[in-house]
Amino acid sequence: MFPGTQAVLMEEGLSPLPEAPAADPLEHLVRRIRSGEVEAFEDLMARTEGRILALAWRMLGDRHLAEDAAQETYLRVFRSLNSFRLGERFEAWLIRIAVNVCCDLARKRGPAPAPVESLETLEGDAVPMGAEEAVLFHQRRTLVRQAVAALPPAERAALVLRDLEGLSTEEAARILGVRPVTVRSQAASARAKVQAFCARRMKPTPGGRP
Amino acid sequence: MTTHVLDQLPLWVGGDLEAAEMAAVDRHMEGCPTCRAASEDLRASQAWTQEAMASPFGAADHARLRRAVMDRVVVESRPRPRSPRMRPSLLAAAAALLLASLTWALHQPRPATPVPVTGPAVPAPAPQDPKPAPPLPHPAFARVAPAPARAEPPTTPTGPTRIEFQTADPTIRIIWLAQAKPLPETESSTEKP
Ligand SMILES: [Zn+2]
Repeated sequence: MFPGTQAVLMEEGLSPLPEAPAADPLEHLVRRIRSGEVEAFEDLMARTEGRILALAWRMLGDRHLAEDAAQETYLRVFRSLNSFRLGERFEAWLIRIAVNVCCDLARKRGPAPAPVESLETLEGDAVPMGAEEAVLFHQRRTLVRQAVAALPPAERAALVLRDLEGLSTEEAARILGVRPVTVRSQAASARAKVQAFCARRMKPTPGGRP
Repeated sequence: MTTHVLDQLPLWVGGDLEAAEMAAVDRHMEGCPTCRAASEDLRASQAWTQEAMASPFGAADHARLRRAVMDRVVVESRPRPRSPRMRPSLLAAAAALLLASLTWALHQPRPATPVPVTGPAVPAPAPQDPKPAPPLPHPAFARVAPAPARAEPPTTPTGPTRIEFQTADPTIRIIWLAQAKPLPETESSTEKP
């Protein structure tokens, strides 16, 4: 286990992290950093920071908190890099630390506030849309974010890792430190809740039912 | 018609059922519009979740995070600070001053009486050297200074330290002015983009 992290999601037994692919480019960087080449940490970040920021935001639902979480994640990674076992998949180790940091921050913050619709645009929002289509898009986005924010933390983590990060059930289970069957049922419960939440609140439109 | 499979659909939509169960759900839905409609709703909801939860961060956010972390990481990986800390450029300047003083003194005609000491022989270099000399290990600082014959304390608490060395030759006296400033804790970690 990682020093300084509270493994809130790891009470159900532990399995080793997935093994690294034959030539993990991240492991090469880890070796360089361990040998004192601090600049290699910048390369390591450049290759992983987008994923970690996205993961933190999906777990926390708040930009500033997500940035804090990502920063704390990388500092913990740097400080405990010697405890990473070469041969394991580095990215899984990194995600595990990020999930733990997010859980710590989420616990400190308390229940997630329901996201309010804002006019901030996402990257890639520049797709031309008709007025009606844009309204529908924003409404849908707000509802989904509110639904995700209302999930219990463990269900939210399972949903994020399975459906948004694209991890397999087994990989998500190893990262969260729970049994695969637990991840499976938590993710399923989260999917059903998000769908029901949106279906109850969404104005019926010709374009979609839920 | 078999019983509805609504309870299994959240697992089915994530591919989280055993192969035989997946096939059974598929078979049921071929003949059940209710379950088929529910599965389509779940699929749509899953796609919307991916759309709504796309990362809001762009390249500028990534770069800002990286810089903030690297500033901390670089500071943390430095050897522990030594005390007192001197700028490397100051060490180089002190060495240059010493050398210049010696050179100057050796080129002076030897008068019968000792040269009166009035101040620094060469102007002190600018304290803000834009291109600092490569950092010297701290023990080198001790080697730069010869064993002083006489060292005077600084005249004012804020002014430069004035150290005079009387060499064996009574006509050669070395004057060394040094301004010691503590280094700031970090050079760049407080920068904000
Ligand atoms: Zn049915």
